[in-house]
Formats: sequence, C-alpha cells, structure tokens
Amino acid sequence: MNGTSAVDVSRPALRRRALSRSLRGSLKGGEYTWAVAFVVPYVAVFLAFVAYPVVYGLWMGSDASLYRELFADPIYQSSVVNTALYLALGVNVKMFLALLLSGFFMRPGWWMKVLLLIFVLPWAVPQISTFISIHWMLNGEWGFLNNVLYTLFHVEGPHWLNNRWTALGAVIVSHIWKWTPFWTLILLAGRMAIPLEIRDTARVDGATGLRGFVHITFPLLANLYLICTLLSTIFLLGDFNAVTFVSGGGPANQTHVLATLGIRDAFEIANPRLGVAAVMSALPMVIPLVIILMRKLRTSEVQV
Amino acid sequence: MAYLSRRSVLRGSTALAATRLLAAPHIANAAATTATVWFAQGFVQDEDVALHKAVDDYEKASGNKIELSIIPFAPLRQKIVSAITSGVVPDMMTSTPNEVLQLFAWQDKWVDVGDVVETQKAEFSETALQAAQAYNSVTKKRGVYGVPLRAAVVPCHIWRPLVEKAGLRIEDLPKTWDAYFDFFKKVQDNLRKQGERKVYGLGFQVTANGVDPANLFNAFLIAHGGQDIVTKDGKLHLDDPKVRQAAIKAAGYLGGAYRDGYVPPSAINWNDADDNNAFHAKLMVMDVDGTLSTEVAVKEKHPEWYFKDMVTHGVPGYPNDNAGKPVPSFVGVTQGMIPKGAKNVTVAKEFLKHFIQPKVIGEFVELGLGRWLPVMPSLAKSPFWQDPKDPHLRGYVQQGLLGPTIPDYYVFNLAMAEVRSQHVWSMAMIDVAKEGLKPDAAVDKAFKRNEEIFAKYKA
Repeated sequence: MNGTSAVDVSRPALRRRALSRSLRGSLKGGEYTWAVAFVVPYVAVFLAFVAYPVVYGLWMGSDASLYRELFADPIYQSSVVNTALYLALGVNVKMFLALLLSGFFMRPGWWMKVLLLIFVLPWAVPQISTFISIHWMLNGEWGFLNNVLYTLFHVEGPHWLNNRWTALGAVIVSHIWKWTPFWTLILLAGRMAIPLEIRDTARVDGATGLRGFVHITFPLLANLYLICTLLSTIFLLGDFNAVTFVSGGGPANQTHVLATLGIRDAFEIANPRLGVAAVMSALPMVIPLVIILMRKLRTSEVQV
Repeated sequence: MAYLSRRSVLRGSTALAATRLLAAPHIANAAATTATVWFAQGFVQDEDVALHKAVDDYEKASGNKIELSIIPFAPLRQKIVSAITSGVVPDMMTSTPNEVLQLFAWQDKWVDVGDVVETQKAEFSETALQAAQAYNSVTKKRGVYGVPLRAAVVPCHIWRPLVEKAGLRIEDLPKTWDAYFDFFKKVQDNLRKQGERKVYGLGFQVTANGVDPANLFNAFLIAHGGQDIVTKDGKLHLDDPKVRQAAIKAAGYLGGAYRDGYVPPSAINWNDADDNNAFHAKLMVMDVDGTLSTEVAVKEKHPEWYFKDMVTHGVPGYPNDNAGKPVPSFVGVTQGMIPKGAKNVTVAKEFLKHFIQPKVIGEFVELGLGRWLPVMPSLAKSPFWQDPKDPHLRGYVQQGLLGPTIPDYYVFNLAMAEVRSQHVWSMAMIDVAKEGLKPDAAVDKAFKRNEEIFAKYKA
C-alpha cells in the first residue's frame, strides 16, 4: 500500500517534467527563455487581432432570435439571392476570362508587354473612386453612357441603377472589370511556370492549339485555377465596395449582398448584433470553402 | 549575450509599473479638465468655424480643454453606434441622426442631463424640450437625456427662373397643399413643350436612403390630417380612419408623382445630399428638404442664386392643408448627449451649460449662416433672422420656431425611429411608384410592418 502511495505522489511531478521536456524540445537554459520572449508578441497579436474579434463576433451573433428576425426580413431574402448570383457570375466569369487572357498575354512581342501594362490599369487604380465613377456614368438623367447613346443614336437609355437586375448586373460587371487583371496575372505566372520541355514535347507529339490547352496546359493549371477560384469566392463574399459605391444597395434595398446588409443592419438600423448575424449566416458556405482550400493547398504544394 | 531570467523580467516590470504610478497624478489632472466631444460636420465650412469659435470661447472662459472631433454625418452615425456598443465613448456627442437619443435612452446608455437643460428651461421652445426627453426601458420612466442645441424644419426650395421660363409666376402659386404641388407639374409640362428634356417639376426623395424620405412622407401625412398616427402618450393609431386616409393620400401623391414622371428617376437612389446636388444642377424646379443647406451652400459662390433665383417657402409660402388651415411643421432637434461611461461628465456638462447660453447658441447658428435654427424663440427676433435683405431666413425661422411645430414621432415612441431607419414609408412610396401597387395596398403593407416594429418596443 505504502509503495503505491509513493508512486501516486510522484506522478504530478513526473507529468510536469514530461510536459516541460516536450515544450522545451532541445532548447536549454536561457535559449528557452529567449524563445518564449520571441513568441509572446506574436501570440499577443494573434489573440488581440485574430482570436478576440472572431470570438467576439461569434458571441455577438450567437442569439437565435437574431436569426429569426433576420430571416423574417424581406431584404435579407433578396440579399441571399443577390449574394449567390454575385458569387456565381462574378467569380466564374472573371476566372474564365482570366484563364483565356493569360493565354493571350503569353504571346511574344514588346507590344504584348505594353498591352499588359494597359490591361492591369483597372486593378492598379483605387477601387472606390472608380466605382463611384461608374455610378455616375450610369446615372439615368445625365450619366455619360446615356448621353453617348442620345448623342450618337438619339436613344433614351434605360435608368441602369433603377432596376434591380440592371443595377446588380452593373455591380457584377464592375467587379469583373476591376479584378480580372489581377487573376490574369496570377494565371499568367502559373502558365509561365510550366517547363518549356513539356510544351515542346507536346508540340512534337502534335498537341498544339486547343489540344495543347486541353491536354497539357489546363491539367497543369487546374489546381492553381481551383485555388484561385476558391480564394476569389472567399474574397468576394466579404466584398463591400462594389455594391456600396456602384448601386448603393438600391433601388429600394434590392441589390444588397450579405456584406452590405450587415453594415446596414449594424449602423443604419443601429443593431450591430443583427449586422453580425447577417454576415455570420454566410459561415455555412465559408467554412467548407476554407476546408477545401486548405486541403487543396496541401495536395498541390509540389505542383505548379 | 545576456540571458533573460524570470527575475530580470520581474525587475523590469516593477520598474515600469513604478514609473506609471509616478506619472499617474499628472495624467489624472490633465484628464480632469479635458472632455472629448464629437460633433457632426457642417454642410458649409462656416458651420464648423462657428463651432470652433464656441469651443475656443469655452476653453478661454473655463480653463478646461475640449478635444473636438468634427466628423461627417454618416461616419459619425457609425462611430456612435460602435462607441455605445463597445463602451469606449467620448464625453459628449451630438445626436446623429437625432433618433439615436431615443434609441440608446431605451437601453439606458445616456447620463441624465436634466440639470443642464434646467439652466435655460424658460428659454427653450416647447418642441425642443419635448425632443430632449426619451423613455428608458431599464428605469421604466422618461428622462431628459438630450440638451437641445439647434433645430431644423422642412421648407420648400424653388427655382424662380425655371417657374418663369414655364410662363408662370411664383406669386401665382396656390396656397393649398395638393394645388401647390400640382402647380409644379404644370411647370414641368410647360418646360417639356419648350424642349426641356431633363427638368422635373418635383424633387421628391422617393428613396430608401437617408433621413429625407421620412421627413417628406411625414410632411404629407400631417398635411392630409394624419398627425395623430402616434400621440403624445406614445400610442399608435393605425385604426383611426383619418390616419389611414392621410397615409393613403401621402403615399399616393408622392409615389404617383414619381410614377407619372414628375420626379427625377434617379431620385429612387438618392441619399441625403443628392437632392441638394440635383437641385443645384437644376434637374428639378422644387425640392422639399430639411434645413437651409440648399441655399447656404451657394451663398458665397453664387450670390445671385441665393439673393435672386432661389425661393424658400417657409412661412409665408409653405402651403396650408387642402381645407386652407396651416399645417404644423415637423422639427428635428439636434441634441447634445453624455454617454454613460464618459470619463469626464463634469466638464461635458459645464461645456453644455456654456453652449446653451442664449448668446452663445444664438451666435453659433448665426455664424453657421442660418442653416440651422435656434432652439430658443427669443433668438428669432435678432437682426440676423429678421434681416429684410435676406430672402430666406425670416420665413425659415417663422416656420420652424414661431409657427406651429411638432417634434418627430420617435420622441413619443422609439418604434418610430425604427420605422424611419427601416424606411417603411419609403417602401410604401416606392411600391406605388415602381411596383404598381395601389396606394391603399401599399399603406396596408406599411401598417403591418409598423405594427411588427411597435410590438418590439412595448414599454
């Protein structure tokens, strides 16, 4: 009995020692203290700027009654539809165009470099001022577009931002215009990383033009394309600027997406918890996307 | 290389704490005489200059320091919501928009400032005093949580040259409500005959953005006899046939004017400054808009517009109801509030007491070119407001300070603040204007939403 007691008493000390060994690894004495000193700022920043906001957000949007209020709001329902359309069209059209254009910009010649420089300008200029410009251009009474239509063809153009579908279309087109250059550059870098030997060998075997794209280029770019698409989807889900500055969520709150609805509920309705709930309602979509993205990144790390 | 030891870390921390303690009294003394104040930015620079002068005068007189932040309207609205939610608050802020006073009073977020208001109680207008009060759902009673600083009413703004170009005269404007607004439809029809493609008769804010559409709808609701939709006891009266008829007429007229092409189509997306800009661009003949921002914005750059071309219809000019009786005007009152958790309530209260002295508050609105109204009737008699050379100020002050006025409905029931922010009346106007709904169906839909919102705010 006595022997058993002695073992029991020594167990916590043994456990502490084992834990200390596993934490220290091969570090000894002052090295361990320095290591802790270097890690502490990172941990503090992580806790303050990552963990705390996420936990605070989850706490703010944790009341079930918020979601009942949200689902009963007719603006929420149309915002969900708008978000789905914005993601489906905005991401896929943009990525497909970027894929095609990255092939175009692979052509040799100095003029191609000049063209590429011009092409990336929409991405390079500040987005808020460009979106505001688009908003004014589409003004039905004295906007640039309708004035051109009237001057050239004596046609009264439609009031682009007064109809839900043309306004939402304007938002989606603006987003595509703004961000296609960026993703084109990424895919262009991906194409350039394909070894020349592979392309030359394929060419010798007769895989040129569309066949070369289908059998050589696209399979090698597929993972990059998928990762870019997933990243773009996550970015777009939180995008606030295009809707706010092109359509303003109008007409009559018909073109809000979840990100802008969250801001409206938080600050215009002055109910921050409801605003957080609006954004949180997208989590069931965001979390699977992040998981797929992480898995893809792991499996594609040795590929292009 | 020196190693960090547990003892050295402890020694360093102790030294740091000791330094902080030694410095603390000095920091505390500075804090005792400093108050942080958030104020909404003016539409014209003169308003901000006037505010700075009032603050400078206070600092000189008291020896205290005011850390003033002047913030544009929409960002200030967001800052206030964020501050109250997080608890990191300034010592004083202005109601931006006005209904935040009632909204956060409900949640017991303001310090009672009855003692501040008491110092000038005899001077304030009845409407300003009513607007300073709000119901607190924690203490279960109404309290004084705001200090009236300035006010605004909704007059009509008209381009004289456009009326004359249409072959009509401002002096021929009818005096009763519907006929008054119908007049501008005639102006538009005449201008169209002269080939004016893009000038509209009426600048109605048939939109679901900003504070303007609710002011517009309420003006029409009251003019058609729906003033008692919410009574002073906070009760909602949607079952009153007079209220229902007034709401139907208001939604029908405003939405119908848009549907029939008498309102600029882009109005459906306007925010608060857009109707001012559209008016300055002469996109419409008239605008119904709160404050004199439209006029004072051009006073320096286009004095001929201010003194000759623009007409403000306050009193006289503002139309009577269809039976010929004067229509009370809705008055919005900007309040100064002190949030709970403020570090320096004493200085904030002292500053407010200084600010609401008739001389100070009168000079504040006058230096701001009179965009805002004073909240004390005695100040309306000043040479500034009664200047016979100024074509706008006398009518504006008569309408908003001396004529019949009422505070907004959210003063009596907070639910009306949410009716405003949810743009329930805007949706009724838009349902008629764009969705093809009959006015009575649009109003029934809006009434249902009103009832849902009121159910959330049972006292």
